[in-house]
Amino acid sequence: MSTIEQKKVKLTSSEGTEFQVERSVAERSVLLKNMLEDVGENDMAIPLPNVTGPILTKVIDYCTHHRNDPIQNHDDDLKKTSEDIDDWDAEFCKVDQGTLFELILAANYLDIKPLLDLTCKTVANMIKNKSPEEIRATFNITNDFTPEEEEQVRKENEWCEER
Amino acid sequence: MASEKLLSEQVTKQTLPSQASQNSLAKASTIPSELILQIFKYVTSTADLKSCILVCKSWCRCGVELLWHKPVFTGYGSLIKLLVTLSRSTQTFPYALLIRRLNFSFLGEHVSDEILKRLSSCERLERLTLGGCRRLTDNGLLKLLDKADGLVALDVSDIENLTDAVVELVGERCRRLQGLNVSLCKKVSDKGILAVASKCRSLRRIKLSSCDIITDESVVILAKNCPHLLELDLTNCNQITNDAIQPVFENCTQLRELRLACCTKLTDESFTETMPALYEQLRILDLTSCALITDQTLLKIAHSAPKLRNLVLAKCGNITDEGVYHITRLGKHLHYLHLGHCSRITDHSITHLARHCTRLRYLDLACCTQLTDASVFELSHLPKLRRIGLVKCALITDQAIYALIENRVVQHTLERVHLSYCVNLTVPAVLELVNSCFRLTHLSLTGVPAFLRPEVQQFCRQAPKEFTPHQRQVFCVFSGKGVKDLKQYLNSTVIAQQRNNRIANGVGNINDQVVGPVAAVSADIEESVVSEAEGVGGDISEGGEGENENRHSQNDNRNRNRVSDRNPEGEDGDVGNALLDF
Repeated sequence: MSTIEQKKVKLTSSEGTEFQVERSVAERSVLLKNMLEDVGENDMAIPLPNVTGPILTKVIDYCTHHRNDPIQNHDDDLKKTSEDIDDWDAEFCKVDQGTLFELILAANYLDIKPLLDLTCKTVANMIKNKSPEEIRATFNITNDFTPEEEEQVRKENEWCEER
Repeated sequence: MASEKLLSEQVTKQTLPSQASQNSLAKASTIPSELILQIFKYVTSTADLKSCILVCKSWCRCGVELLWHKPVFTGYGSLIKLLVTLSRSTQTFPYALLIRRLNFSFLGEHVSDEILKRLSSCERLERLTLGGCRRLTDNGLLKLLDKADGLVALDVSDIENLTDAVVELVGERCRRLQGLNVSLCKKVSDKGILAVASKCRSLRRIKLSSCDIITDESVVILAKNCPHLLELDLTNCNQITNDAIQPVFENCTQLRELRLACCTKLTDESFTETMPALYEQLRILDLTSCALITDQTLLKIAHSAPKLRNLVLAKCGNITDEGVYHITRLGKHLHYLHLGHCSRITDHSITHLARHCTRLRYLDLACCTQLTDASVFELSHLPKLRRIGLVKCALITDQAIYALIENRVVQHTLERVHLSYCVNLTVPAVLELVNSCFRLTHLSLTGVPAFLRPEVQQFCRQAPKEFTPHQRQVFCVFSGKGVKDLKQYLNSTVIAQQRNNRIANGVGNINDQVVGPVAAVSADIEESVVSEAEGVGGDISEGGEGENENRHSQNDNRNRNRVSDRNPEGEDGDVGNALLDF
């Protein structure tokens, strides 16, 4: 790690709170990386109207921890199962459901693929071995099918059995 | 790091989440569908995905898209159920349009024209794999392909009824085609291939194996029209001459894989006269049974294609030591070399090969009858050697096997060992082999007298149906569990006990069993092997062993790190090779 003080980047959350992070941390976000490359040396804060302060804090946490990870190739990770989440990441994802979904939205918006994968895997793990009813209860989703519609969808997809 | 932490804390204080913002957090039901899809990609079990589609309408749309994109059938029954869904008059989703990839090759003869016709509404097909669906005819194929404008890859290999009509339709409809496999479709002629070659300009891979009425004309027009070709398979297209090869080298500058096995008319001229001075992309070249080619071709290839990885020269009977010397120029790039039936080659060139092409993973020397233990001594130093074929190298003795084991790197890499008709081999040597090479999954000992005993053969694989009674009698091939069973059996015999006693007496403190790759134990075995070698062998051929030892110990640590990267090309059918050699 370089001992030279890195240039700080300013980010503004949706409430207008200003955050300062090192450039290498901000650059875990492809969106920010591209923006920083476009604007060059500049002291202006980058507004992130889609991300709230608490969520931005979490995102910065994540990016700081993973600041030195190698950049992964697209889609490589899909081959892996949803189980290979390391301890730090698992701990990071122990948040309430609302925060978890906000993190998915933020990771998508900021284009941080590893964070998006991690949060999506975490949600996928919450789906495992549950019935439709249990999934609805877990995520507080209203069933908007009529009984007839539900039955038809079930029938239409009967062909796919356990792989 | 510390300052970073501080910063985070500071930030947290500023912006503690208020109750109000907590309520406005995202919910599963408000997540956009592209992100639901992203989540579903990690829902790997079909059962779970089926639960997801019944949760609510928006989840249903996402889940159904994934389930139908590339339908996975567990059997014929599930295919029929899918067809029932497609034939329903009212469907919740336009299911047929969701299907992008279909693979029926594992259903083989169950797939009928009728089934294809019922799938003709799948207008957005991108990949269609029908290899081995031998009951199909033009009838069903024409119907299914008629609207498949977006088709990118088509495999209709081994559909013997298929004619040029289908291939011509593909040329007409599927302009975006990148991959075509019509191997074993023996009715396909130049007419069909010309249609594809003139329309499908983005073709990258074409397999014409055993399309034996195809002539130079097809190859020439493919080469001229499809400059992006990466793979060209002309195996068994025995009308092909040197005239076809020149335009390939001239136009297809990105070609990575060229298979010319059994194109028996080809001569050195194909390469020496027409191959560009630098043809760098070539990785795989198969010249099996191109019996007219000589060392001159190898000289040219080694210069023009310096990054060649796989080279198959089986049954190129003119190849001599000189040719193998040329090949060694490929150095570490060469991973796979087949020299079966190149019976002119000797220990001299194999020694050179082993010292220069140090990353060889797969080497077949079947029927190179002049080879002796000296070759195997050299090869035992190859740090990545996974497969070695020595079928009918009858001069090989137990000393060769001991040499293989002695090298502790090969112990960790060897997976497949072919020793059929190495008639001098005995049980003690093979016992050491199976005990030392813990990755061993295949061992062939057909026709080795010491193993032609019912108590050993009981663990061997079933002989292929087409074998004669005599062939069955000498058949002795162990794979998978068979290797384990053989190992267990051999270790229970008197020979094994004698051996263990010897080790125990010599070294003292060894735990009850001397199996497995425990480093300390192997070191001990090695000692015993050496002492045995001294006792039995005596003349360990030429080529000072001490010299090799040194070289080996230098390589040892460096290469121990990675022993398990898989061969991307797969095994080229060991059964096939074994059959050839019986």
